[in-house]
Amino acid sequence: MRRRDFVKGAATVIPGSVALQMLGTKWAFAQSADFGNDVDVLNYALTLEYLEAEFYRQGNESGLLDGQEAQYLQQVGADEAAHVDGITQTINQLGGMPVEAPGVDFGGAFDSRDTYLETAFTFENLGVSAYLGAVGFIKEKAILQAAAGIFGVEARHAAVIGNLLGKPAENGVYMGATETPLSKDEVLAAAQPFLTGAAGMGDGAAATY
Amino acid sequence: MKRPELFHGQPVMAFDTEDSRRKFLRGAALIGVGGTLAITRAGDRFALAQDASQNDLDILNYALTLEYLEAAFYTRALENNVVEGRELELVTPIRDHEQAHVDAISATISDLGGEPVESPRFRFPDGVLNNRDAFLETASTFEELGVTAYHGQVTNIENGDILAAAAAIAGVESRHAAIIAQISGGNPFPAPMEATATMDEVLEAAMQFIRS
Repeated sequence: MRRRDFVKGAATVIPGSVALQMLGTKWAFAQSADFGNDVDVLNYALTLEYLEAEFYRQGNESGLLDGQEAQYLQQVGADEAAHVDGITQTINQLGGMPVEAPGVDFGGAFDSRDTYLETAFTFENLGVSAYLGAVGFIKEKAILQAAAGIFGVEARHAAVIGNLLGKPAENGVYMGATETPLSKDEVLAAAQPFLTGAAGMGDGAAATY
Repeated sequence: MKRPELFHGQPVMAFDTEDSRRKFLRGAALIGVGGTLAITRAGDRFALAQDASQNDLDILNYALTLEYLEAAFYTRALENNVVEGRELELVTPIRDHEQAHVDAISATISDLGGEPVESPRFRFPDGVLNNRDAFLETASTFEELGVTAYHGQVTNIENGDILAAAAAIAGVESRHAAIIAQISGGNPFPAPMEATATMDEVLEAAMQFIRS
């Protein structure tokens, strides 16, 4: 799975004494040209949330999960749908134009319980890193608070799904003592296999990207 | 936020010196009167700033004290073999993370020209460190408190690097909170967004177990 490629980089144990300095440096990977304003950041987040919300909608209809697992993934799906609604409303309040839902194709993600959860694991960890990589571009404090609040919940999802899969605790359930940000380019490259065609991205997204 | 009833109000945390205690508590008075803090714009922030404000240093010392609490809690409980098997596998990295947070935040405060608060002395009641259920219940309280504490400072932190670092730590605390909930029968996903607690609220909860 593609996600593993960049998870590897995050697996390196960072000595605590240098972690914060490194984070400052890594944050600089993102280019200020990536996002012109808060609406750009929100539309970027919205595309990812659309991707996740539709993923769980399809996955939870597939009947692959039972019991507690099914209940957890219902909650996760409901969270993503709430993120889509919340971000859309915020963009509207800011006078921006929310991007449309992208076209999606999840391939063989719903072949089995394991493929469903593995793909979910990929999406959630991608979401965590995407939010952390973008949060520095947000200028409005209320939006920053909301984005951070969503980011934390994506981290919860990632950990629990990793544990359902029986992943190793470190570099599986957890991804080190600090989360690792990813730039917009890295995130989009990872998400691209699941997005169908430029038309599916919507005009707003085309402008954003 | 919910007010955790920790240890039935028994004090379990004590500072060695009055100075340490006041450094931890001082933030409560500062937050709320800090006025409007502009979030640094992208591009302005990338060298780890030497101009960290007293406000940010106070927030870092506040975070440091909460991390001390968590690190001591997990270290002692694991010494008592409080959990085993998969639970041990899941809790051991939490201890390591909290200690890494202590080290990183201390180093950052020093680098910024501040003085890291000393670790308080902690006393935990019987059971919490050697009874699995009591341990997980307390762990859940601490993790959820930590999450809301970090999120409560998001808009107060002035320096962009410190904000990024705090966010990177907060995400890990969210993972801890979710896993502790998952293995103890709690709800790992209490809301679509993390809740916030002000420094006053966190301190009010923490005051129950600070011995002055």
